[in-house]
Amino acid sequence: MTAEPLDEIGFSIDMTVRNEWRNVDLLRTSVQNCFTAVFADVDGCHAIAMVTGELLENALKYGDWLSGDRAMFRLRVRGAKNNVVMVSVQNPLKPTDPNAAALTDTIAWINGFPKPEAAYRARMMQIVENEDSDVSMSQLGLVRVAFEGNCRLAAVVEDETVTVTAMLDLSPA
Amino acid sequence: MDNLTLGDLTIEVRVTPETVFQCTWKGKSNERNPQEVLKPWFDTLLTTVSQQGGAIEMHFDKIEHFNSSTITALIRLIQSCRKGGVKLTMVYDQSLKWQRLSFDALRVFEKNDDMFSLRSA
Repeated sequence: MTAEPLDEIGFSIDMTVRNEWRNVDLLRTSVQNCFTAVFADVDGCHAIAMVTGELLENALKYGDWLSGDRAMFRLRVRGAKNNVVMVSVQNPLKPTDPNAAALTDTIAWINGFPKPEAAYRARMMQIVENEDSDVSMSQLGLVRVAFEGNCRLAAVVEDETVTVTAMLDLSPA
Repeated sequence: MDNLTLGDLTIEVRVTPETVFQCTWKGKSNERNPQEVLKPWFDTLLTTVSQQGGAIEMHFDKIEHFNSSTITALIRLIQSCRKGGVKLTMVYDQSLKWQRLSFDALRVFEKNDDMFSLRSA
């Protein structure tokens, strides 16, 4: 965590990550513990941690870990006093990789629904309808981020990396 | 029916006198592909419960976290139970927002056949 003026940033985590599956839970729980020290909102801390975990899992499943630059695997979490938290995960992925198009298409599909809950329900029904599909590729993670994290998703593909960003508004409803 | 251990996850099974197989999830379900281990365990559970004419209760109120791949495995379990004619109840902690969101969303699979239901602990 770095110290910056609280008017601008309440906290900031910015780190490179080794592409090992066990690091997902290590980082997810670390983020949850850090945020519990910042917020009194336990539900909000769990949401930030869940979003972090799902984005990291997504990066490990669909990133280019064979030919891509592993040093480009990066987690950033930033929060401001206005209760908006940004979680972003960058990982190596060539723009021509089919996973890049699948990712941007999925986010466009989610953002096309009036509410993330509708996208989540639609995705669950797709899983039921495609009974024989590979469940390890169910792609429920991003839509869960949008629904349970109540956040807006965006993806940028550039310089042989993809960065997925989730903006969470933790303001009381 | 044996308990299941998968990484940070444990599922403990207890059978009530009414032949309800109460499966209590503890710890964290955070494997890359939990379905690889959960599916064969669910299949054995379903066969055992079916043979004894029982029902299944999955208790999640003590679990710390599960990833989206686990949710997909649970959706598959709901389908398998309905196909196999085995009643399935999922019990969760309504006071935890993340559990409320995850499980209330599964109400889309509740039908009038009483084969799948959700209840707060």
